[in-house]
Amino acid sequence: MAAFGQAHEEGIPVTDPLIIAKCTSCHARDEHGNMQRISWERTTPEGWQEVLKRMILANGVAVTPPEARSIVAYLSATHGLAPEEAKPVLYDAERRIHQETNIPAENLRNACTTCHSFAHALSWRRSAEDWKQFVETHAARYNITGSEEAITFLAKSAPLHTPEWDAWSARKADTRDLTGRWLLTASIPGRGKYFGQIQIDRATDGFNTSVLLTSVNDGFGILRAGRGVVYGNSAWRGRSKGGEPAGSAPGDLNSEAREVLWIAPDHSEAQGRWFWGQYQEFGFDVKLRRVSTDPTLLLLDRSSLKTGSEANRVRLIGDKFPAHVTPADLDFGPGITVGRIVSNTKTEVVAEVDVASDASLGKRDVSIFGSVAKGSLAIYDRVDYIKVTPESALASFADQTHALGYQQFEAVGYQRGPDGKLHTADDLDLGPLPHDDVTWSMEVFYEAENHSTDFVGKVSPTGFFTPAAHSPGTNYDVWVIATTRNDKKPLVGKSYVVVTVPSYTFLGHRYVRDLDRWIDDGKADGPAQ
Amino acid sequence: MKTSFLFLLLLFAGHAAAHHGLAAFDTTAPVTFHGTVTDFHFVNPHCVVEFDVKDDKGEVRNWKAELTSANHLAPKGWTESSVQAGDQITISGFRAKNGAASLWATKVVLANGEELKINGGN
Repeated sequence: MAAFGQAHEEGIPVTDPLIIAKCTSCHARDEHGNMQRISWERTTPEGWQEVLKRMILANGVAVTPPEARSIVAYLSATHGLAPEEAKPVLYDAERRIHQETNIPAENLRNACTTCHSFAHALSWRRSAEDWKQFVETHAARYNITGSEEAITFLAKSAPLHTPEWDAWSARKADTRDLTGRWLLTASIPGRGKYFGQIQIDRATDGFNTSVLLTSVNDGFGILRAGRGVVYGNSAWRGRSKGGEPAGSAPGDLNSEAREVLWIAPDHSEAQGRWFWGQYQEFGFDVKLRRVSTDPTLLLLDRSSLKTGSEANRVRLIGDKFPAHVTPADLDFGPGITVGRIVSNTKTEVVAEVDVASDASLGKRDVSIFGSVAKGSLAIYDRVDYIKVTPESALASFADQTHALGYQQFEAVGYQRGPDGKLHTADDLDLGPLPHDDVTWSMEVFYEAENHSTDFVGKVSPTGFFTPAAHSPGTNYDVWVIATTRNDKKPLVGKSYVVVTVPSYTFLGHRYVRDLDRWIDDGKADGPAQ
Repeated sequence: MKTSFLFLLLLFAGHAAAHHGLAAFDTTAPVTFHGTVTDFHFVNPHCVVEFDVKDDKGEVRNWKAELTSANHLAPKGWTESSVQAGDQITISGFRAKNGAASLWATKVVLANGEELKINGGN
């Protein structure tokens, strides 16, 4: 029999002596080990960190930093999310701009996304009764409207007990060792693809990491070192920095970065983002896979090839390639012929390939010695349109306490898919266009054509937007525009960018810019929330 | 577009989707335009339809119609491909006060007569 008005759902007991000692004065513990509220909630490491921070600041809970880390680690493991539950909301922890078109109702959107992403709410799992209590408390605390509709939706969408959690809970004892060498691929918007390795070693309180990444485009190498912790056997959270001191250039790759990785349930791979910057606008998108004893294909330097093209040089980058490679060892699928192997090493094979004029269009797998890079190459016969990514963004002027908020853009080519329509799910992503193939410009909404846009900022020839150094004290809506070169009828793509002041005060409240929204940061004369 | 600081304060609190008010538009004189879509941006903080309109003298001017955000329109059935370049379209709304070829859309009707629902925040 459960307690504390949670009679309908079984709680998750708390057995950690530290939490029992620190929290039972408010969160009573019953004979089953269930603690009020806590036993009917699950969330991410960030969720538990946030709660603990609030308990310290608002309720006077006294814990040392090591104790705080221990509490978050315990709750993230025993009251966390299964990997399958964590992945759909990972973009919140990864600090990615993400259009949330999955919010079912207006009142939910107004109640939740005024202050945080919808994923922030869906990063929690609660019993139905706890969702009710949460919505009511939240509504009172933040002066928002809580509704039965919201409670019903959240209880149904994010229940405490799920098949994924039950399965993961049963497997968590199977703590696989993450240490060793992993192969790494990464991409950085505006800079392209990277490849390398990461060595993970066990440390006293987590793991130490050392990373070598090499740019596919220019061969430039980056050394990074860091530390990380794994919560609940599936959530990597760490920090790392480059081997050289970070310079003043925005986006310097030696900058200290926060690391968020989702580790696959079988621990064979991981993926996530390493990010930094005033608004976390810079980052590596990373994928890790364990080193194999067999040849491994990691990536291709090309994202797409055109039908009817000949003698295309394609670099296949990986690990443990044999000394002797023949065209027959590579497979690009029907319609693509490997003419010859230009060069090869243990980690790279350069092949020359022809694409038949009638080769089938679409993404295809490429393999070498049986190692497959799934969907790594797009075959196309024309570029129908370009999309500027991110398609919408915030950038911001600086003030006394906030640095400039930058934004890197890319122009990505697309061919319409089999449905013949533009901008549908079956469209073929051809990858970012080379910098030399695109010119960048800006347009301020409602300003006359050819009007200078320097008072808002500048976009570089590589698509990097820098806000003006002098803040005009207000916000501007602008298009950042990519136009293809060398086309009889150039293709044009646009991103909608709001360039804003970083903070302001209104009606006694302080508002601050977050990743893609403004947040009510509490009373202007009070502490930040 | 420069948004007055008051409007910034009033309407930018929260998601970028709740972005700016209608101060820049003349809400006293609704207008309707027929034209050909040149581009459609299904994004936050505002979706934007760009479309060519031929005036009485036969001259073509490219107009920009702002709508509410993609986050608001998605639950109403809108997608990236709801409006396509080349589509004939009729858009009603409020013109920009400064004479720019821009309007705040209040009604969008496709060539087949289908009206796309757009009611929502600005």
